[in-house]
Amino acid sequence: MVTQQIARPAAINTEHLLEPQWAEVTSITKEINDVSTYWLKFTDPAIQKAYTFEPGQFNMLYMPGFGESAISICSDSNDHSKIGHSVRFVGNVTNAIGRLKVGDVIGLRGPFGTYWPMKELEGKDVFISCGGIGLPPLRPAIYHILHNREKYGKVTLLYGARTPADLMYTNEFDDWRKANIDVQVTVDRGDSSWTGRVGVVPMWFYQFRFDSRKTAVLTCGPEIMIHFVIYEALARRIPLESIFVSMERNMKCGQGSCGHCQLGPYFICKDGPVFRFDAIQPFFNVEEF
Amino acid sequence: MPNDHKPEIGSTIVIQKETFNAILSRLKEKGYETIGPRVKNDTLIYAPIEQMDDLPRGYITEQDAARFHLKHTGHSRYFDAIPGAQSWKQFLFPPRAELFALRKVNNLWEASTPETKTPSYAFIGVRACELAAIQIQDNIFMRSDFNDPIYRARRERVFILSVDCMYPAGTCFCVSMETGPRVKAGFDLNLTELEDVFLLTVGSEIARDLLKGIPFELASAFLLRNADQGLERAASQMGRKLDISNLPDLILNNLDHPHWQEVGARCLSCTNCTQVCPTCFCWDATDEMSLDGKETHRERVWDSCFNPGYSYQAGGNTRPTIRSRYRQWLSHKLGTWKQQNGTLGCVGCGRCITWCPAEIDLTKEIPMLQEEAR
Amino acid sequence: MSDVLQETFKELQKIPWFQELEKKHLEKLASVTTLRHVRADEVLFHEGDKEDCLYIVLSGRIALEIFIPHRGKIRIYTVEPQDVFGWSSVTPVVHQRTAGATAVVDGLIACIDSEKLRKICEEDHDLGYMVMRRLANVVASRLLVTRLQLLDMFAHPESQNAK
Repeated sequence: MVTQQIARPAAINTEHLLEPQWAEVTSITKEINDVSTYWLKFTDPAIQKAYTFEPGQFNMLYMPGFGESAISICSDSNDHSKIGHSVRFVGNVTNAIGRLKVGDVIGLRGPFGTYWPMKELEGKDVFISCGGIGLPPLRPAIYHILHNREKYGKVTLLYGARTPADLMYTNEFDDWRKANIDVQVTVDRGDSSWTGRVGVVPMWFYQFRFDSRKTAVLTCGPEIMIHFVIYEALARRIPLESIFVSMERNMKCGQGSCGHCQLGPYFICKDGPVFRFDAIQPFFNVEEF
Repeated sequence: MPNDHKPEIGSTIVIQKETFNAILSRLKEKGYETIGPRVKNDTLIYAPIEQMDDLPRGYITEQDAARFHLKHTGHSRYFDAIPGAQSWKQFLFPPRAELFALRKVNNLWEASTPETKTPSYAFIGVRACELAAIQIQDNIFMRSDFNDPIYRARRERVFILSVDCMYPAGTCFCVSMETGPRVKAGFDLNLTELEDVFLLTVGSEIARDLLKGIPFELASAFLLRNADQGLERAASQMGRKLDISNLPDLILNNLDHPHWQEVGARCLSCTNCTQVCPTCFCWDATDEMSLDGKETHRERVWDSCFNPGYSYQAGGNTRPTIRSRYRQWLSHKLGTWKQQNGTLGCVGCGRCITWCPAEIDLTKEIPMLQEEAR
Repeated sequence: MSDVLQETFKELQKIPWFQELEKKHLEKLASVTTLRHVRADEVLFHEGDKEDCLYIVLSGRIALEIFIPHRGKIRIYTVEPQDVFGWSSVTPVVHQRTAGATAVVDGLIACIDSEKLRKICEEDHDLGYMVMRRLANVVASRLLVTRLQLLDMFAHPESQNAK
């Protein structure tokens, strides 16, 4: 199980439960139809300076009057000037975030959760297989690899979305390719202007050669996609301990106290969201658990 | 005895029952709000008590699945009646707690936190199972990586006067859960009620100071044996029992057992069990905003894994059926809780059995997992 | 072996599955196969065409498309190197193509005449068994992919039927 967490999250209030720090929206990037990235900077410069996060962690973003939403951090952990959150507009809180403008202020608590084991992955081939809104929590891991490229072996990104219009961060793919990351893309359905692959993410595993002794698989996305990606990885004899998953459940407190995000014995917010697969395997296929 | 003599920690003294009023007075003088069992509307609640006669003297409770009957038999004891639906959890982990209020000033939000003073409670009559439950919740709310400020502030101040159970009720199974009937540790004062006297075991410096100047004698061997016999008899008269030797594995290895479907069909998902359970800790945070959108306040409230919205997130509900929610509750309480906290989450108080309108009894449901297991 | 046949034989041999076949079986298959270069945007067949060939992509990419009135041509699947398409000509459900196939980029495909393939499988049941077994695998894996596409797992949650 991946156990590291940041000992003292910079943006929480230990005396007043759930009271957030405040951050200003410095810019908004429209990504795809229902997703935009919000770039935040703490209104208190001391907190901005003290705030660090690891790839895979998340913040609780708070819209007063609506509530909080757990949003993965999708920006470069080396960049201390701002923090990026790609938000999909699906509910009350996220739609309220969607109405924010540059200059508005939002509550922020974090960072929370376990992170991608970038140190442990050094020297290995890294196969990142994700889809849809599963790419944002992996982007900081990709940035980390870009900053430390020589420490990793063969690095592949197999990324899929529903249609070509739903692919995120496409303007960065060529930069990643230049840094010797094999970026392969697929969609569930396309039109005649799409010249790339059409077919679900897990089915393309057959096109890659895996050295099962030194490959680690990182995955995130709809849970059904994760299931099949893991089947494919296991079919290629990649050990359970080399597969890392980012899971998601309803979160309220982010700190392992309110109970909502439990999956079996684990609180997804503090024992996850990044798990080594062998830890969650016993509960993985239990329906409605 | 000289007036400034205090009994030692660990010693058991004997006092006349009327002297107990003096202890209650002293607690009030020291600023404690004394809370104890009281009869109200044909049931027992935990409410402020002023003096001994506020206690349910002469009452017993008859309890069974979906059955609670408070009965006055006219006996002379104060602490016989096994508690009702309420537990001490509502005082340390209040059902509603205001977290902070926000006011919008020039596009920024200004926070203010409530001015209320943290109460100092003295819990009068904490049963062994209830004390075990408090200790379980201590482990959940006060951890090295997360410390709930609301719980901690109240818990630091609380005075615990526990009481040994001599007359368990029909749904009690603290013996099976190894939490009672004898109170072991974690109290300030522990009370054992015999026919004519109270025995008080001293558990802390605060308790010692409280007793300073009260005339006492150390309890004789005869009285201590009397107490032991009462507890042994109580231990043999438990209303229910549960074999925990194969927990948590029995549950965790049978998550797809057909019995969950059977219980799920009976369960109403009413959340009674989670409300009355003294260890359940799930909570939610709600926002209430003014109509002009300029002010809001945030509250923490109890939640329950049986609530349909509990596991709802964008994309749907991970536990849409009652079967899955019942399984979550039981597999947590007597299963995964162990890995999370080092102990099982159930203390054997029996409230979930008594207060379930569908008569679901976990001491009967769990053995079913063993019987039909394929 | 003629030059053309030799070239066909060599190309087929590059495919892992064909390497499992005995030489005589591979030669029989090669004898009913023609290699064909395709250019980007070239249409191999339309929906509704009569079926005649089973195809294997050797290089490039072929898109399978279905035309829906008001929605246009939807690309439902792309066939990559070593993958098979047009297999319904060997196990026909309807006697015409159910989707159109268009080359996305320049490439090389192997076309196996399905009528002739059926004949050599009839004559040599050992070969027939291997071919059918392989096709069963292709169909099974295509069915799984189609099911996952059907689940529409990336759809926006509000449009999904789950509450």
